[in-house]
Parts: sequence; structure tokens; C-alpha cells
Amino acid sequence: MKTGYKIAIILFIGLVLIAAALSLGTRTILPWDIPRILLGGPGHVDYTILVKLRLPRVLLSLVIGASLAVSGTVFQSVLKNPLADPYIIGVSGGAALGATAAIVLNAGPFTVAVAAFIGSIAAITAVYMLSSRLRLGSTALILAGIALGFILSAAVLLIYALARTEQIHRAMLWLMGDLSGARYDMLDGLGLVSLLLVLAVMGFHKHLDVISMGERFSKNLGVTEGNIRSLFWLASLLAALAVSLAGVIGFVGLITPHLMRNIFGPRHLRLVPAAAFGGAIFLLVSDALGRLLAPPYEIPVGIVTGFLGGVFFLIHMMLREKPE
Amino acid sequence: MNIFELKSVSAGYGGAPVIEGLDLGIDVGEFVSIIGPNGAGKSTLLKVLSGDDLLMAGSVLFNGRPVREYRPRDLARQVSIVHQTIEAVAPFTVHEFIRLGRFPHQPAFTVESDGDREIIEWAAGMTGVTGLFTRHLTELSGGEFQLVRIAHALAQNSRIVILDEPVSHLDIQHTVMIMDILWKLNREGTTVVTVLHDINIASDYASRIIGMKKGGIFFSGTPDEVLRYDLVEDLFGTPCIVMKNPTTGRPFVYPVPGYVK
Repeated sequence: MKTGYKIAIILFIGLVLIAAALSLGTRTILPWDIPRILLGGPGHVDYTILVKLRLPRVLLSLVIGASLAVSGTVFQSVLKNPLADPYIIGVSGGAALGATAAIVLNAGPFTVAVAAFIGSIAAITAVYMLSSRLRLGSTALILAGIALGFILSAAVLLIYALARTEQIHRAMLWLMGDLSGARYDMLDGLGLVSLLLVLAVMGFHKHLDVISMGERFSKNLGVTEGNIRSLFWLASLLAALAVSLAGVIGFVGLITPHLMRNIFGPRHLRLVPAAAFGGAIFLLVSDALGRLLAPPYEIPVGIVTGFLGGVFFLIHMMLREKPE
Repeated sequence: MNIFELKSVSAGYGGAPVIEGLDLGIDVGEFVSIIGPNGAGKSTLLKVLSGDDLLMAGSVLFNGRPVREYRPRDLARQVSIVHQTIEAVAPFTVHEFIRLGRFPHQPAFTVESDGDREIIEWAAGMTGVTGLFTRHLTELSGGEFQLVRIAHALAQNSRIVILDEPVSHLDIQHTVMIMDILWKLNREGTTVVTVLHDINIASDYASRIIGMKKGGIFFSGTPDEVLRYDLVEDLFGTPCIVMKNPTTGRPFVYPVPGYVK
């Protein structure tokens, strides 16, 4: 199939899904009514639901999904490891420790997000320092990340052991990934920063192509350690932002790059935008399902991405497996 | 004029140096083949030439300037290297892979120029891989992949090409095909520096043969000068007889079975 058609079809599906996510919920708003409601201005209950609740949430899921998927794409290329995801170097562990500590201290959502961000940046910095001469692509960095992850999760469990039950529940919900706190004040800054980071990654699309063929290969073509460091920080920051605002949402950053690479090929000029789009839509759908499946309860989005992503990926692999 | 000038170079990977006190000059337009036993430092020497920072002592000059002072991108525009193995194989098509060779010539956010496209076409034509353009790297045979990697190196630059064992594990058809390509390039002005395990292939194609042993240069000269039975025996610890290859007139080395030292 021509790439133009593929892009058109996928964009169309994306738009349909966004409309569906805005429409569905405990109160259904028909998609074709949405423009009229928005133009009608405040005052109507549908307007409030749409603008105050669903729109921020849809936008947040799109931004977070795109950030995670682009981060995963970069890590998979830089580490040349198909199992690499945004959390591989300890971002999630640091964020979890920061957030858990804040929650146990009865902090509000904003403080929790800030604590998670500080935790994740501290974790990244620690891994970065540990692999002192940053030999990315070697397993040293991954191992440092895993080791740090164990230490951090031990610390989180220690806090659980000492904390009160309702706090533990709140902390665990955070760990599973949660978009229900979406508000506009989160979106302005996050959306802009994430967009800038993704654009910066796009500026490196040729580097990413070359790097995915190996460390020595890319060095002989003139890729510097500085280039790789920049990519490391861009991907880490994307992951840190996402995890601080929405908790540890797994699978999006691992699977989206794989799927998009199978569909669009390994060139990052296409792969990075495709992953951003795919991750955004994947998280949008997962969050909508989490809201809709068992009302009035909400299933944390991280659980949905795990189920949905895992099953979808297995099916995809079985279909791809060509008989000899 | 020497493009590479190595003075009392010691190099290695931390710990004991692999190469020690090595002096070497390589001229424009030479076809240099490096031979020698395993572990003699041949690959390390190639890495030093291609700008890897393995230097422990001495100096490596490229066009009269220390290699270290070059920006990696500037060096990549002038020196291509085809390593023995490739570390990772992303599922690029052959065309996409060869295009990666233009990377050091293209700033970010620029598109491929007509000049780039011409060079890519030329590199593919030179190596006879144009017909493989839409194939994926993962679908190629060993011989095809090696041709494609050389096309990639030529797209990067065609003045100085360094190759580490480019014909090991290949059948004789692909071996001769690749060596003929290198020979043709060399006649058109490309400087070729290559490690070869097959002494006779080195003898047939090279303008100079360097024998390396224990991290130093054991001999260096034209095939006729250095491929003598006593020198080869000392280099490899294997008694040999030397005859003439009837087609090329170059020395032909044959090991004597049963007498390895």
C-alpha cells in the first residue's frame, strides 16, 4: 500500500477515535453536536462536561501517549535494544519514590507531580553519572538502570510497609497510571514542552537512523557522544514529564514504536511522527475504555494499556509470522 | 604525499597496548594489504586510522593534522571504514542503508540533494547492487551484504576506503568480485587499506603488503619484495613455498602441510 494511503487511513481512524472519546461517558454527547455545544458557550451542562472534564483528559492522554511513544522510540534506537522502553533507565522508579513519599505525606496532586518529576530527574542523573563514560548501546547503562530500579522499588515498598492503608491505596492507583486528575493548568506547560521535545527529537531523525545500526557504525559516520547524550536527555525528559503527570503507564512506550516500525519502516523521519501519533491514540483509547468498561468505577489506564497492548501485540505477531 | 603518518604509535583498549611503537606512512593512491597472525593488532591499526580514540602514545596525522583535532563529521567525509562485522541490523532497505552513507555530508533538516543522489547511484552501480535496492538488509546473502556495505562506504566517501577482512567467509565468486571492485576503485584514485587473511589475494591485488606481528610492523613492501618463503615462515610460524601465480605474475604462497611450528 502506498504510504500516502496509510497515513490518510490512520489519520482518519485517529479523528474518529478522538470524537468517540469526547462523546462517550456516563452522559453521551453525540459527535455532531460537539461543534454546536462548543460554540454555544458556557452555561449548558454538556458544555461543562465537554470543556472541563473530557477535553482536558483527551488532550492529556494524547500528549502523554505521544511523549511515551517517542521516548521509547529514541531509547530503542540509542540502546539498540527492542525491549527498551521509556522506563528502562529508572525514570519510573524515581518518579514512583517521589510520588509515593508525597502521597504518604498527604500532599495534593500538584505536589505529587512535582515530587515525581524531581524523583525521576534524580534517577536519570544517577544512572547518567553511574555509566560515567556514557557508553550507551553497551549493556552497562541498562544494567545500571535496572539496579537502580530495584533499589528504588525497595524504597517504595518500605514506605508501603510503614504507611497507612488509604494512603497505600492512593499511591498504588498512582503507580498504575491515572489520567483522572487532568486539568487545563497541567496542559499548557506540559503540552508545549512535550511538543518542543518531540520537535527536537525530529531534528535528530538522521542521527537516530544511523545510531540504530550500531555504536561503532554511527561513530564512523560522525555521530558524536554529545549527539547521543542529547538524545538520552530528550528521551528521558519526555518520559519524566509523562510519568510525573500520569503515573507509570506501561506498554505504550514499548509497543507503539515496534508496531509503527513494522508499518512505516525503520526511518525515523516517518517513525518518530508515526510513533507520536500511534502512542497518542493508543493511550486515548485505553483511557476511554478505562472510563467506560465498568461505570461508575474507573479502571486505571495503566491496567488497560497492559491488557490491550499485550493482546494486540500478540495478535499482531501471530499475523506477521509468515509460514515458511 | 602521505595521507596517513603514524609516529611511534601505541594503541589499545585500556590495559596493555595492542600496538606498540609503530611507525607507518600511507601514500595517496596506494593499495595496502595488511596480513599477519590473529591478535597481531591489524584491526586495531585500522581503527586508529579511522579515528577511533585508542591512542596511548605517539601521533597519528591525517593530511598533516592530528586525527584527534578533526571533528568526527569532517573525518567521516574523508575516510570510510567497513568493519569486519556489523553490530546491529535495523530492517532498512538496501537503498535506505546506502543513503545513510551521505549522513556526514547532510546537516540536519536538509533533504537529499541531486549531488547526493548521483553519488548514491554511482556507488550502487560501482558495486553492482542497484538491482537490490528494494530488498531488506535482513534478506541478503553474506556476499550481497558485503557488496552493499562497500556501496555504503563509497557513498560516504570514495577517496580513502578502509576495510577489515572484506572477503572472509565469502565464496570465490564474491571474493574476486569484491577485490576487482577495490582494484578498479584504486586505479581511479581511491586509496585502499585492507586487512586480508588470504596472503594470495593480498599478493594479487595490493601495491604494498604490510606484515604485522605482536603489535608491530614485521615487514612492508611490494608483494615481490616481502612474500619470500623465509619471511612468511617467520611471520606465521608456518613453513611455506612461494611460486608465481600464472595469471597475475605475483608471488603465490603455499603452506607446507605437517610442519606448523
